[in-house]
Amino acid sequence: MAEVIDGEFTAFVTERGPALLRVAYALAGNQHAAEDLLQNALAKAYARWPRIRGDAEPYVKRILYHDQVSGWRRRSRRAEVPFAELPDRAAAGPDPDLRLLLREALRALPPRQRAVLTLRYLEDLSVDQTAALLGCRAGTVASQTAKALARLRQLVPGLDELTSRTEVTR
Amino acid sequence: MTRVLDETLRTAVRDLADGVGPAPDLAGRALGRGRRLRRRRRVATAGAAVLAVVAVTLPFVLLRPGPAAPPATPTPTVIPSPTMLATPGASWTAKPLVLPGGWVVTRAQTTTGSGKGFLLDRGRGHYITTDRYDGIFPAPTGSLVAVHDNNRPRDIGLIDLASGKTRWYMVGRALSAPRWSPDGRRLLFTTTQLDHEGFIVLETDGTKHTHPVDRRAYFCTDYCDFTWTRNGREVALPQTGGSGHNEAFRDKRRGVQLFSADDGRPTRLVPVPGDPTGPWAWSPDGTLVVVQGQQEPLLVETATGRVVNPLPSADAVWLSDDRLLYRRPLGTGDFVLTDPSGRELVRQPLPRELVGLEVTIAPR
Repeated sequence: MAEVIDGEFTAFVTERGPALLRVAYALAGNQHAAEDLLQNALAKAYARWPRIRGDAEPYVKRILYHDQVSGWRRRSRRAEVPFAELPDRAAAGPDPDLRLLLREALRALPPRQRAVLTLRYLEDLSVDQTAALLGCRAGTVASQTAKALARLRQLVPGLDELTSRTEVTR
Repeated sequence: MTRVLDETLRTAVRDLADGVGPAPDLAGRALGRGRRLRRRRRVATAGAAVLAVVAVTLPFVLLRPGPAAPPATPTPTVIPSPTMLATPGASWTAKPLVLPGGWVVTRAQTTTGSGKGFLLDRGRGHYITTDRYDGIFPAPTGSLVAVHDNNRPRDIGLIDLASGKTRWYMVGRALSAPRWSPDGRRLLFTTTQLDHEGFIVLETDGTKHTHPVDRRAYFCTDYCDFTWTRNGREVALPQTGGSGHNEAFRDKRRGVQLFSADDGRPTRLVPVPGDPTGPWAWSPDGTLVVVQGQQEPLLVETATGRVVNPLPSADAVWLSDDRLLYRRPLGTGDFVLTDPSGRELVRQPLPRELVGLEVTIAPR
């Protein structure tokens, strides 16, 4: 029987592992932490495999996000990736530069802010859906989104300027 | 937030996610970690049993007289031992297997559900072998059996053993295993479908009642299945009660939140430090409940959450206000009738064929 479970589990990870790792990477901000986060979620899924088989992906995703929630509480802000210097001003730069700067700035966000943005923009969830998945209030999601945006504006001063310019010229 | 800023952020987050590299042997490493996790949980359960034994043994060890002063007259030490019943014979499948206290074995199957198992046909009074479905869940009374087929993950089948008819009902997505109400008239499912989290009650005529539960207000992590309470009118959801997280243990609980099974309305919080496994974990008078605590099974008071004593198993059923029945987690998994302190009164070994199987029991 153990062979059957192992076979099913391995097939699941082989098929869905890369997509789940992508989510974990967006949450964790680096490869090592992403693999650790995902392996932890997969291990929990394996331990409960007979009960979750068939619906394993939502289960694993939920653990990914909840472990991130636990991580907020355990680590506070220590898991924030240091952003040693403010990036150069990007107002005059082309979009690829802005995206590069933004990607680096996202890494510098505290984990919970990054998690909220991941749910909103990678998973395309609404504020309410994000709050339900994280087990917090919609107001908390909104405030975390606002704080994340403020931090991104601080790290990428050209953000508003460029997006406003693009808006005008559309 | 402007639409362009919105899109810029979306692109940036996806850029970030796209930066992920390949993870070699992800499945193999996750398997290893998963096995270790499962072992730790088993060790935690076994540790609870060892602790119970130690708790009983330690006073004898501490009070044992020193060797230098032998007593003038030997004092016999009375060590209470349970009454050992005989192992059922080879023809045990010919009639209901009755356990101490009068309950019967209704099903025996591997944990994963597949492979050969045994199912009690109450009407005919004997066991039939089963190997067709991926999950078999006999009602605690009557002739209905719920079945699950992995090829139909959203459905549940109801077999009436009396008539031999099977009816399939669509329940929903992301479902837990079904749990029968104590009266065998309703099935409870936990649904973890995104944006539709909550519980579903299915009547045996196929009528379905879906009750969304706000997970922000009723926060649960780790093991979060709804279970029936003993009166069958409410269902319970464990509530996470602390910020600490240790992979080796379950998440801390602040209690279980009860909801009306009829309309999904939250009714009350029972402040117990763990998860009841089902309706029979609640004592008949409602004052005590057996829960799986963070590290071990516990007997606790429902009014205060005070731990009365640890128990070897959380899968315990209350037969009366002073008798519990559960399967010993160690050895060959005998069933034992105990008092609330966990003192074994009667022990019933199982037939050899059932020793390695998951066993379901119900009132006779």
